[in-house]
Amino acid sequence: MHYRPEGKGWLVIAFALFSLPATLADNREEPVGTNPKGSERDRTVQKVNVVAERFNFTPSQIRVKEGTLLEINLTSEDTFHGFRMPSVHINRTIPARGRGSVKVVFDAKEKGSYSFECSRPCGAGHTMMRGVIVVE
Amino acid sequence: MKRILPTIPFLALAGLLGNVLETRVLYATPSEERLTALEERLARLEKALERLAEKVEANSLSEANGREELTALPKEAREINLDQSNLAQEEKTQPATSDVPSAASVIATEKQNETEEGTSPQILNIPYAGYMETHLNHDGVNPTTFDFHRFVLLFGHGFGDRIRFWSELELEHAFVEGREVSGEIALEQAYLDFLIHPKLNFRAGMILSPMGIINERHEPPSFNGVERTFVDTFIIPTTWFGSGGGFVGDLGKGFAYKAYLMTSLDASRFSAEEGFRGGLQNGFLENASHMAPVGRLEYRGRPGLNLGTSFWTGRTAFNLRGIEGQARMLDFDGRYRKSLFEWRGQFASTHLSNAAEINRAVQRQTGVNPNIAKSMRGFYMETAAHLFPKEFKHDLVAFYRYENFDTQYRMPDGFLPLKQFDRSAHVVGITYYPYPDVALKFDYNFMRNASEVVQTPNRWNFGIGWWF
Repeated sequence: MHYRPEGKGWLVIAFALFSLPATLADNREEPVGTNPKGSERDRTVQKVNVVAERFNFTPSQIRVKEGTLLEINLTSEDTFHGFRMPSVHINRTIPARGRGSVKVVFDAKEKGSYSFECSRPCGAGHTMMRGVIVVE
Repeated sequence: MKRILPTIPFLALAGLLGNVLETRVLYATPSEERLTALEERLARLEKALERLAEKVEANSLSEANGREELTALPKEAREINLDQSNLAQEEKTQPATSDVPSAASVIATEKQNETEEGTSPQILNIPYAGYMETHLNHDGVNPTTFDFHRFVLLFGHGFGDRIRFWSELELEHAFVEGREVSGEIALEQAYLDFLIHPKLNFRAGMILSPMGIINERHEPPSFNGVERTFVDTFIIPTTWFGSGGGFVGDLGKGFAYKAYLMTSLDASRFSAEEGFRGGLQNGFLENASHMAPVGRLEYRGRPGLNLGTSFWTGRTAFNLRGIEGQARMLDFDGRYRKSLFEWRGQFASTHLSNAAEINRAVQRQTGVNPNIAKSMRGFYMETAAHLFPKEFKHDLVAFYRYENFDTQYRMPDGFLPLKQFDRSAHVVGITYYPYPDVALKFDYNFMRNASEVVQTPNRWNFGIGWWF
């Protein structure tokens, strides 16, 4: 009995493997709420979950309105990563998968683009693990 | 002079407050209350400062009253400074590998220019990193081998915020000796990134070809199985690197791209069994007379989903006089993760023009017909499940992968395919992660081929890989 690729029904396997993810695809979360803190009770808070994994952040572009408090919840799907925003001197470690999360609150006071990047070497493509917050 | 005197402590205070305010990041507190209290105290200081400024302007500040008010304010400012130092200390003492879920928050209050002066050297100077993997391979035909397969160190450096250096130096198979069959040392990456704009950055140096999944993501804990996939070994010749340069960027809405010009592959070293693999120039006095374009487009706009396609084309017969040997490679790949399950798949195919003439030319040079195919094709599909809940610090992953790869898929006229190189594999295995960056792997490979004469033996592999 020798192998014949055409006889193994690999197309059926491919369909099964790839159709399942498609049915489960949309799980994006970008809830918006209000800030519970007394001193900034009236400010809009935008919450975003950002997932870090070799070698990208998802989402890598976050858009907020000027004056918004942006609450970024960072988790990793593999190793430890970093979250660094050079323009505002933020640099935090994102715990590895299964080791919790880290929260960063960005006060979008001023319009502009604020880049962020991975600050902990995470592999061959580390240097381009980047993203941007656009304050409009 | 008398009018100037009151302004001196005012300026000192302003300097002190400036120092406080210049710390534009209020470091994390374990509780929101402390942060709120700090902000309120800062607001009180600002108001007091405004009152003082009004008094100075109106020249209504007596020296005595002014001294009293000014000495009170720096005290509070110092307290705030102290609080911030404590908080920063908390930040520093928090272990880098924090196990604390939902750790503290950071508030950035103002934007600064991205200048070298504004960034600490500790952040700019990227430290080292590395990965290693050692394997035990058994196939029932050849002797069982223990192989320290890869010892890789990565170094980087930041020249300001706009220029980055990154490198990857690899020692394969532990031992290197001149003129002997042994391991190899390879400089797989050594390039500069010029960060211009998120959508357009320039990269130049020794770079990885952005082809497929594994070539750019080959850290042992990042893929299942002890060895890399067969498709990423025989169809896509990982680790595929060479000299070149090009552009990298994030186009927004989840799309990212890479577009390089790189040195090409050498067709005079292609083979029937390993396809293009022997043609890697590996950065050693590379023939650069015909640079080859390579590009990749990725979509990663949904959490857990990553779809990619890569394309490469290059002139490969530069060492075979009078022959044109244009080669092409096309890849489609995808990864998806949902809850405790992961899927990935890849399809790659190649085409080589004038394969018959290349075969004859190589035979004239070496006396051996390499029987290079006109086209090769391979694909794999893999499904994996994390057997422990996500909250566990340890992880156990079971996976199954089906691979089909044929380095003799279409032959040029006058050449017959060697059926033993029309191969497939069912790979089952398990990976245990005692720590996210340490992987203990075991897999069993059920090998098949289309030949009725030559069999491919099954094999099992055990490996340990780690990243730091």
